[in-house]
Amino acid sequence: MATLRVTLRVILRSMWRRAGGRYSLIVLGLWVLVSLVSLVWTPYSLLATDGFHVWSKPSAAHPLGTDGVGADVLSWLMAGSRTNLIIAALSVIVAAAFGLLLVAAMVSRHGALSAVSVVLVDALISVPTVLVALILCVPFGASAAVIVAACGFAYGLNLARILRPSAMLAARSAYVQSALHSGMPAARVFLTHIVPNTLPVLVVQLSMSAGTSILAEAGLTYLGIGVGAGVPSWGHSLATSVKFVGIYPLTVLWPGLVVTAVVVALNLLGDALRDAADPLANPALRGGQDER
Amino acid sequence: MSENNGVYGEADATEEKSSANGTETTQNAASTDESLNARVKQPKRGKPKYWLWVIVAAIAAVAVVVGVCVARGSTSGSQTGEASDTISDTLTIGLKLAPVSLDIRQQSGTALEQVLIGNVYEGLVSRGSDNKVQPGLAKSWDISTDGKTYMFHLNEHMSFSNGDDLDAEDVAWSINQLKEQQYYNADQVASLERAEAVDANTVRLTLSSPDSNLLWYLTGRPGLVFDKDAQYDAKTQALGSGPYTVESFDSADKMVLKANPSYWGSEHKAKTERVVLRFLPDDNAGVNALKSGDIQVLLPVNATLAKSLDATNFKTVVDEGSDKFTLVFNCANDKLADKRVRQAIRHAINHEEIIASRGGVDAALGGPIASVDPGYEDLTSLYPHDVSKAKQLMAAAGYSTDHPLTLTLTYANTYGTELGDQLRSQLAAIGIDLKINYVEFSTWLKDVHSNGDYELSLVDHADSHDFYKWATPSYYYHYDNKEVQELYAKALAATDEATGENYLKQAAKLVSEDAPADWLFSYRASVSYAKGVQGFPDKLSQIVLPLWQITYVK
Amino acid sequence: MRFMVRRLALFAAALVGLSLLVFVVLRVLPGDVAAVMAGTNATPERIVSLRAQMGLDRSYAAQYLDWADGLFHGDLGTSAIGGKSVASQVGTRAGVTFPLIVLSLLIALAIGLPLGCAAVLTRNERLRGVFHVVAIVGGAVPALWSGLLLILLFARGVGLFGVFPSQGFPADGWSNPGQALMALVLPALATGLTAGAGLMRYTRAALGEAASNSAVDMAMACGMTRVQALLRVGLRLALPQLVSVFGLMFAQMITGVMVIESLFALPGLGAMLVTDVGNRDLLAVQSELFLLAAFFLLLGLLVDLAHRVLDPRFKTARSREVG
Repeated sequence: MATLRVTLRVILRSMWRRAGGRYSLIVLGLWVLVSLVSLVWTPYSLLATDGFHVWSKPSAAHPLGTDGVGADVLSWLMAGSRTNLIIAALSVIVAAAFGLLLVAAMVSRHGALSAVSVVLVDALISVPTVLVALILCVPFGASAAVIVAACGFAYGLNLARILRPSAMLAARSAYVQSALHSGMPAARVFLTHIVPNTLPVLVVQLSMSAGTSILAEAGLTYLGIGVGAGVPSWGHSLATSVKFVGIYPLTVLWPGLVVTAVVVALNLLGDALRDAADPLANPALRGGQDER
Repeated sequence: MSENNGVYGEADATEEKSSANGTETTQNAASTDESLNARVKQPKRGKPKYWLWVIVAAIAAVAVVVGVCVARGSTSGSQTGEASDTISDTLTIGLKLAPVSLDIRQQSGTALEQVLIGNVYEGLVSRGSDNKVQPGLAKSWDISTDGKTYMFHLNEHMSFSNGDDLDAEDVAWSINQLKEQQYYNADQVASLERAEAVDANTVRLTLSSPDSNLLWYLTGRPGLVFDKDAQYDAKTQALGSGPYTVESFDSADKMVLKANPSYWGSEHKAKTERVVLRFLPDDNAGVNALKSGDIQVLLPVNATLAKSLDATNFKTVVDEGSDKFTLVFNCANDKLADKRVRQAIRHAINHEEIIASRGGVDAALGGPIASVDPGYEDLTSLYPHDVSKAKQLMAAAGYSTDHPLTLTLTYANTYGTELGDQLRSQLAAIGIDLKINYVEFSTWLKDVHSNGDYELSLVDHADSHDFYKWATPSYYYHYDNKEVQELYAKALAATDEATGENYLKQAAKLVSEDAPADWLFSYRASVSYAKGVQGFPDKLSQIVLPLWQITYVK
Repeated sequence: MRFMVRRLALFAAALVGLSLLVFVVLRVLPGDVAAVMAGTNATPERIVSLRAQMGLDRSYAAQYLDWADGLFHGDLGTSAIGGKSVASQVGTRAGVTFPLIVLSLLIALAIGLPLGCAAVLTRNERLRGVFHVVAIVGGAVPALWSGLLLILLFARGVGLFGVFPSQGFPADGWSNPGQALMALVLPALATGLTAGAGLMRYTRAALGEAASNSAVDMAMACGMTRVQALLRVGLRLALPQLVSVFGLMFAQMITGVMVIESLFALPGLGAMLVTDVGNRDLLAVQSELFLLAAFFLLLGLLVDLAHRVLDPRFKTARSREVG
């Protein structure tokens, strides 16, 4: 445990030294912080509307202005950050679970299973996320779960396809073969010997998927197949600001800026994490001790 | 090492592929592949750049085309503006709502009535922009003293647009078909028993009981006359006797109407040769089309966007109509059976605020009858906005902000999320936790309208003369008040207008006091048109759109 | 060869599965087309009689077989509400969506390919950093937002420089190609810019990888400059990957395109699907969804095949498979 904590500290520290890593750590830290704060406090209640002051410009009372029902844009963005945090986290978990399951099938020793799963992945990967969401939305209605399921499905397939080569190499390696011969259960071999081999790629892919899920949330919510009505999310804020873009252009700026900033951070996070956690790239990790 | 090559041979070589989801090939995977690449022989060919040139050429071609278009677009823009005073032979009108098919006997929707009635199809009687009955195919009529027999005297020498004669036989056939096939709104004329052609120009309608609404309903779909002898696909074609014929129709794009050259009448003869109705469901796209001159009339225009229109070139009028945004409380539900809760909700809603947020053109409405309908009176003083009174009523019913009452509002996503958000916010103040169930219109139809499975529902009841819904307990309102039903029956049986209206007023007031619903506002459509458009009606254009009288002088 | 057969068999099986999935999922939808036709004034009896008229009271099995039989013979059916053939409806709408996608892809290519190459070719670290930032930020902008910003910048009547028409499609459609194309420029830019940033990253990665290939070293040893070697030999090596990335981009672009179509009020496939699902016109929706999904499956197949054909390494792989 202790060594793990040390390693983590080393990784974080070396991430901090890189500009990209520092940016992503700051933005993501803020994201989590704002999500937590919004649970107990937002400048206005989410229920507060004021029909006499709709689409108002930024002012002292409303730093980012108000929307079409006179609700405070800042409060809704703050509350939206927790919805997006949950969606991103769940999408990543679902994608990882689904993707690794597919990888396991693809590298399995049952010829039929691996052949079918390989071709299945190749066939399904071209089905767009929006179609999956549209079909899922039909029986279940619009909700965050639909976004998570659609994103998890699409990113899982993607992950499987990208991880396969390194997983294959690991699966044919001598140590995996000998572990199997020594009677270790196949599932355990997969988790302890094959998955760690794919870790660098996995980390980058998953952090990218988190970013993409946020973009997907915005698009799907705008199309009416994302989070339900009245649920705060960045996509909701962006979608509601669209209505009178020609007359009240300012409202459009904020949600877009937030989404872009966070997605950039998530994209950088993967790269930074990989560079920092890879013993080949990061000398501080070699020998298990701190730099200098 | 040869093992590595073997692995590669079985792989599908798709490892570096990833979707546009935003993935990036990673260095690690790259280094794996790189070590493999190093081991694979490269075929050496001598023409590596073909495709590059193809792409460059394609991009250049597109750039040129776009450039040419930009240049063309700017020159065509500068050509507009000179005036001439002849009536333009084409008028283009932008409509927000499109009819989904032309089948006016089967397909619901007010857009269909707005576009076709009086323009392509004509009825026995017609409706003026004042919502009153006017002569149509029948030039006059007599009603027997017991109110059960109607004799209609038709105009002479009438014909359909295909040349067939239109006579009493067609009229009687159309009305009997309506009853037999139970076509759309057949139940509105339930009192009508049969129609007979007395002679070529006289039709007799026989009723089972007097019905003061019958004539008015005959101005709508039930009174339309169709060609008995013609065969056509009613969904994609229309064949009527009106001043226009349908040249083409695509519900996603436009409908082109052409003046009927052999129109029988002289009074409603089309003044504009060709009318194009463009369907523009997007508010912004509609205003853009109006500004750019693609359309001359936009109906309706979003009230907020209308303010951005240049007043020297465009005129915007606000149209009174019969649209009632109705928040129905399901009285058959246990929580809402308590009248105090329903009254509290009505007191809690701030109608002025809702109207202001929508651009301030809609009118407050205190009861079930719209201002254009008989029996209207201003009932807004019955339940003024009064939060403290609402709280008292809620407290009496056993609820408070600490012990809130949870209610669910089911409404269709055609109306925008704003209304739900506002109601949720306003009702939270008096201790109601309003959940929003924002569904597709067809889901609403199933759950609320067909199954009556709801607590609160919000819908725009656009029809005029639809008070009967409050006197029909089987309708999804589930409102069952014997007194109201008796008053409505009396209103129907009344043979003179004033008595009928009086009964309706009493019934409407009873309904409003009982609070089975709250009427959020009476929607008033704004209409914008270019200077030069004349003859556009200033009332009810959402339902009655007499195209024959509209002209456009450039 | 075995691969081809396997892939084609799977494609056929997937189509059958797809038709079943689409059919079943759509029957779960609450509400039906008869109720929509009948509207809010309807009596229950009227809905029942409309259902019978449209054959909706038949068993699901019969309805499915009817539909599948039509599909097999190339008949996509007729819309229950509008009475028009689904094929013509899809055709008209695709006439907006596909030009939009193609234009977006061209823009993506015009941006992504040169910038991606430049990012590898340059030796200037600072410039590389700039390229990196452009790629990362460009790929992180929501399509909806870039569309809105483009409207605010370039749309006539709204934007700072009113050059292009904003929302809406011209009345005459493609019979006036200039205007129609103009209406597609801003939407295509909105999706193309984001996709271009993505393509730029792929190009950089693929070319960067090829740059360390011994073939490039060899070319340089034979007297080419580094730039020449990379563009002549490196790009050739990177080509198969780029082709498959490009194919998948096409598929994934449809999400952004649907959003952008809605924002710019273009009468494309997205609007059609939403309207028809809303009207519960299942006869039309099932064919439309099937057609779209089948198209993407086919696209996946083609990309896979193209990758095999283009990638020289597969020749050796295949010979090994046989032996």
